[in-house]
Amino acid sequence: MNGSVIGRGTVVRGNVRGSGSLEILGRVEGDVSVSGELVVGEEGAVRGSVSGTHITCSGAIQGDVRGSEAVLLERGARVVGDLTAPRIGVATGALVKGLVRTDGEPALGTPRRPAVAAARPIAFPARPAAPKVAEPREEVSDSEPPAKEPKAAREAPPPPVVPALAKGAKAKKKKRED
Amino acid sequence: MAGTVIGEGLSIEGDLSSEEEVVVQGNLRGKLTTTDAVSVGSSAVIEADVSAQSLTIAGQVTGDVTAAERVDLQAGGRLIGDVKAARLTIADGASFKGNVDMDV
Repeated sequence: MNGSVIGRGTVVRGNVRGSGSLEILGRVEGDVSVSGELVVGEEGAVRGSVSGTHITCSGAIQGDVRGSEAVLLERGARVVGDLTAPRIGVATGALVKGLVRTDGEPALGTPRRPAVAAARPIAFPARPAAPKVAEPREEVSDSEPPAKEPKAAREAPPPPVVPALAKGAKAKKKKRED
Repeated sequence: MAGTVIGEGLSIEGDLSSEEEVVVQGNLRGKLTTTDAVSVGSSAVIEADVSAQSLTIAGQVTGDVTAAERVDLQAGGRLIGDVKAARLTIADGASFKGNVDMDV
């Protein structure tokens, strides 16, 4: 068995790192980094950043928490710090104060589109000759503007509507009053 | 089961203070203090002063060792540092370098 336990009556002042699983039932004042499952028990407390594959917390963590697989906050957990993991679970009764971010699978819309657009021109020239490179670019450019034009056309009608301007004007007046 | 277990593969840099039994099979660098027993496994490497009720060493310890009760240095164990304890056993096959103070 490769499991480590920091018991209830134990206080560690310093960094803890290594392989295998770790259960913290006592207190750690320092960074904890484990390449395995990490459990912070009900009376467990960590003051420092915490990282592991699968982190389950029902105690207190004051610092950033990063799980390469998942971070689960059980009832009674108190976390002050950022949570980052592909999967994050927060049970009712858990307290979180910080940025919660599920990293990994879902990417934001903006960074994805340029990445895909860049991948196409690079992928195409590799297979066919140089002249064909222009075609995919044209296709891309053709496909994109028409997509935008109808949107612009659809979006265009609202602006002419007079009330919209009137509303904006009112809002500005209100802001100035404030 | 022991209250605190530092498993093989885990390393701690800093102070560890406890009120319960501590079993070390991994690495510890800094200081180890407990009011209960300490067991240093064969795979353990400790570079720290150790203070405990009783101490059993089967691994490597570099640092001064203080036990209120006893220190047992087992075969295969390696201790470099001074020992202060009421009782001390050194098994055949153990390595030891340091002074002994048995509080006579």
